[in-house]
Amino acid sequence: MIVLKVLSLVVWLLAVPFCIGLLPMPLLKKCFRTPGAVLAAGYILLFTILELVGIPVVLLAVYNGFTTFVKVFTPVTALCAIAGILLTWRKRKKGYELNFHGITALKEKSWEEKVMLILFLIIVGFQLYMSFTRASFDGDDAYYGAQAVAAQQLDTMYRVNPYTGRSAPFDVRHCLALFPIWEAYIGSMSGIHATIICHSVIPLVLIPLTYILYYHLGKTLLKEKKELLPMFMVLVSLWQMFGNISIFTTETFFLTRTWQGKSFAGNFVIPAVLWILLCLVQEDDTGKKGFWILLSCLNLAGGASSSLAILLSCLMTAGLSVLFSVRERKLGILIKAAFSCVPGGIYILLYVALTHGLLAF
Amino acid sequence: MYGIFMESLVILKLYTGLKFLLLLTAIAWLFLFITEKDRKIRILLVYAPIITILLFLFPVSRKVFVATGLDGETYYRILWTIPMGIIFVYAACRLFAAHRRIGLIISAALIMLCGSLVYKSPYISKAENLYHIPDTVVRICDLIEPDHEGERVSAVMPADLIHFVRQYSAAINMPYGREMLVGQWDYYNAVYEAMEKPEVVNMRELLEATRTENCRYIVMAENKQTDVDPVSCGLLLLDKIDGYRVYEDPVTAEALEQQRQEHYGDEE
Repeated sequence: MIVLKVLSLVVWLLAVPFCIGLLPMPLLKKCFRTPGAVLAAGYILLFTILELVGIPVVLLAVYNGFTTFVKVFTPVTALCAIAGILLTWRKRKKGYELNFHGITALKEKSWEEKVMLILFLIIVGFQLYMSFTRASFDGDDAYYGAQAVAAQQLDTMYRVNPYTGRSAPFDVRHCLALFPIWEAYIGSMSGIHATIICHSVIPLVLIPLTYILYYHLGKTLLKEKKELLPMFMVLVSLWQMFGNISIFTTETFFLTRTWQGKSFAGNFVIPAVLWILLCLVQEDDTGKKGFWILLSCLNLAGGASSSLAILLSCLMTAGLSVLFSVRERKLGILIKAAFSCVPGGIYILLYVALTHGLLAF
Repeated sequence: MYGIFMESLVILKLYTGLKFLLLLTAIAWLFLFITEKDRKIRILLVYAPIITILLFLFPVSRKVFVATGLDGETYYRILWTIPMGIIFVYAACRLFAAHRRIGLIISAALIMLCGSLVYKSPYISKAENLYHIPDTVVRICDLIEPDHEGERVSAVMPADLIHFVRQYSAAINMPYGREMLVGQWDYYNAVYEAMEKPEVVNMRELLEATRTENCRYIVMAENKQTDVDPVSCGLLLLDKIDGYRVYEDPVTAEALEQQRQEHYGDEE
């Protein structure tokens, strides 16, 4: 039974997002098509689907909302995953392939780089061990954790007060951020209690996922000085562990509230925006369509974590693209960036309409 | 406007904790400001962070933030867009590019000395189970959870268990939850007033409130003082679990059973 549950978690947390992540890969240059980038892209697309499917269900389904959500979300994600596999399979015949160079290149690295990489893996391993064996108390869990449990056990989404369990007015402030619903979904698909998913399982996936992003960000920043990458990763992992200078930093959220949407916003969405934008402004103009699509998706997917995440990712996209386009004298960046903010803009308009009572459900 | 500016400044100070890690970032930023040649990286790690801080402190930004319907208390999250860690780590890699081993040792030592280890937080403890909630809560909830699927019960819980109950079971309602513990929210709840406010609980007042709210169970810490023994008021002591007494109120239980019969009697 436990084996089946673990297998199910592997399917829904790794295999499905990975296969979905294969979809935009043909639009990226080979150097970006690494397994880590595929998984990160997969999560961006998965949360985009979550928002596109979940928001109408949350708004319209008053009764049995979670069952309805599962019935729609499962086939859509499964179809996307299958499409990703088929696309890769078809393209393979024409010489298209993923980039496994990072794994094979391990042999070529100097002993110093290997030691630093091992050190990095030990630090991450320690963080994963601590996330599994240590309980971190946070008052907000009484909201987010209980919301996931309510979805799983009561089949309702954002229509009961998670603190007391009583019927409550539709929670317009949080209803667009479906991160707890996704956690409840993973719990239901694997037959595991939503709170176990939140506290014991999700950190094991999201912590490495964040480091995958930092690895790619480091690779893009350091460019030809790849020998510095292991040092970069060791220092980043230490910074994440010692960045608890106040309860407000992303680093504190990263290791004490990993399962909450707001942590995902600070530790996945924001680094992803930085990475994608940095890739987009590289000299080489080829293979950027995929990044623009990913950025557009990210500017909606962030909404799964929190409504503020979308505002931040759109503001970052807009602000940085203004700076890049002025500096590079390329208006195209600004125009494309504006288009990439459209999905996020629609989300923000919906949020404002809901919170200001212009729309009622 | 000046007031909003000062508030934002306080938020900035609270965010950084005015710890040495901020100083490290500032030195790294200065290093990049002087030496970084790549225009794109300059934009990302030098210009964007300083513009973000200026916009963050600009009073109109905060007004717009709140006007969009976002919670003013989350304004600090604008600062999340400043990649403090990346600024320092990238600068350290650049500075020690030719002396990686010694550079790693120095940089790592600086991070550890100037930062604060997240696992030192008083909120982190050894997990008692996979739920990462106290075993006590699990045992109490297992005792009072309704037998039939779809049914719910209501229970008054002591303040220190309130956060965890509904993370374990959505079938257990509570007359009040975490919202009563956050002082600034300033809610009123009659059961909370009777249960938590007085040093010695007045059982008559508590039962009046719990019966109005259809609370079948009352959970009290063993050291919680009551003016009379709850059992003498008609409550049944179901069990004592890890320093908590779990009572059932037969009056509410009977009233709920009658309601259930009226609603579902024909179906059974």
